[in-house]
Amino acid sequence: MDNHKNGDLGGKRTLVEEGTQFKGSLSSSCPIVVKGRIDGDVSAPSLQVSGTGAVHGKVKVGMIESEGELSGEFDADVVQLSGVVKDKTVVRAKSLEVKLAPANGKMQVVFGECMLDVGEMPSKDTAISSSRESDSVPANGLMLEANGRNGSGETAKDVLPGLSADSLGDDPRKAKSAPPPKRA
Amino acid sequence: MADFTADDILKKVQRSEKVERADLRGINLARAVLEGTSFARSDLDGANLEGAKLKRTNFKNASLREAYLAGADLSQANLDNADLEGANLERALLVGANLSRANLEGANLAGANLTGAKLAYAQLESASLGGADLSGAHISHAELEECDLSGARLRKADLSNSNLRGANIEEADMSEAVLSNAQLSETRARGVKLAKASLLKANLSGSVLANADLTGVDARDANLTKAVLNGAVLTGAKVAGVISSEASFSNIRADWLDTSAEGDGSRRVPADKVAAVFSKQGPIEPTEGVANRRYFGKGDVLRNASLEFDAGAFVEIESLFEQCTISLGSGTELVVGKKGVLSDCQIKGGGSITINGHFFEKQSPGIIGAEQVVVSAGGALVGAVEQPPHSTRFAFEPGCKLRMKILQAKKTNGEGRRDNG
Repeated sequence: MDNHKNGDLGGKRTLVEEGTQFKGSLSSSCPIVVKGRIDGDVSAPSLQVSGTGAVHGKVKVGMIESEGELSGEFDADVVQLSGVVKDKTVVRAKSLEVKLAPANGKMQVVFGECMLDVGEMPSKDTAISSSRESDSVPANGLMLEANGRNGSGETAKDVLPGLSADSLGDDPRKAKSAPPPKRA
Repeated sequence: MADFTADDILKKVQRSEKVERADLRGINLARAVLEGTSFARSDLDGANLEGAKLKRTNFKNASLREAYLAGADLSQANLDNADLEGANLERALLVGANLSRANLEGANLAGANLTGAKLAYAQLESASLGGADLSGAHISHAELEECDLSGARLRKADLSNSNLRGANIEEADMSEAVLSNAQLSETRARGVKLAKASLLKANLSGSVLANADLTGVDARDANLTKAVLNGAVLTGAKVAGVISSEASFSNIRADWLDTSAEGDGSRRVPADKVAAVFSKQGPIEPTEGVANRRYFGKGDVLRNASLEFDAGAFVEIESLFEQCTISLGSGTELVVGKKGVLSDCQIKGGGSITINGHFFEKQSPGIIGAEQVVVSAGGALVGAVEQPPHSTRFAFEPGCKLRMKILQAKKTNGEGRRDNG
């Protein structure tokens, strides 16, 4: 892991080494690096959990960078996750990053039953009005309703029969796409 | 006998005089400050210009064969058509320099900074460019046969129509570079990064691209005959017209391939059919693969609908969906565009879901059994995701907004109720 990201510029840091198990509350003004295990509450500017590390408890830090195991309640401004998030875990953050693992490769993060509260609460009303205020709404914008009252009520198979990109508005990229390349 | 001594040159430079067409062979001007001087058509063969300050200096048509320019600052210098065969330019600063048509055959440019340099039609055969920075450089129609570019940075460089036959580009970063119509046969390219690069009609026959990153590469009509791509990442690669006879593709990683003629993602081949695409003889047909593309445009509203998409389909939603239930077949990709809103909706099935817009669940869980869920920087997801038994692959970009629960695969007891144990 890149220590510089944590504001740890080679300075002091609290290290829980591999094979060490800490139980209780840990409060530090230095970044905490966990290669062993912490059971308890943690407060620090940043928390780095290595692949061998595990933190179980209530954590309040500026930044979490974890490749290990997390369980409990985690409050941070910035969270970068890989590794394992155990059952009954809550992660609250202003920003969360989880990178996508390749389809056939190892899972980036294995999530148990957990909750993720990240960023501001999304507003449904704002999102809907923004979608309707689209700058490219066709003059004859399409509205479809398919329910038991005024529709057949049947399940639409593969985008309602007859509906496709052509009937539901043009894909702007389609119009811009270049002609197929000439063969050498 | 040289025309001038080093002192003569320095005096001329102080008087802002030109030193053109001069015989300066073997002259020692190490660390001299010669910025802006014109040495056009001068003969500087074997000259020592180590660490010299040569910013914006004019060496157009000059001869600098075997010259020693290690660590020299040649930023913005004009070396158009200069002869630098065998010259030592190790760690030299050549930012924005004009080396068009220059002869750099066998030159040592290891660790040099050539960002934004102009090298069109340059001759770089057997040159050493290991670890050099050529980001954004213009190297079209250049001769780079057998040259060493290992570990070099070539992001967004233009190498179109260049000849790199037998070159070493191992571990080089050529992301977003343009290599269309380039000759890359027999190159050593292990671990090269070619993400989103253009290899349109490039010849890569016999090249070793093991463990290369070819994510999103445009390789349409490229020749990969007898190439080795073992362990390479090819997700999103555009491969229509690729010839891959006798090529090796073991352990490649590709979530999907784009087989559309236009390279616009309209025809996608899911991961389980990728091997079959490369196993066929002859060019990969543009019509091959998945043509199930569905697009719901901006401004449209779809309400109270149940939609099923076939396995392998690609669905893009820029519309407002309200109280809809969407079923995805295996390998189906659903992309909620930036303007797309799925309000009070539910998505079921083993497809891949990318949320660039908004998703709000109708009832919990709002997403059931997805193979992959990606929420991009501008995306928002409010709801629960019930993973399939083998877990969902999640990706969240910084800036996304989430109010989500992640649930384990539903286990049912005898009464059909959810077993949380």
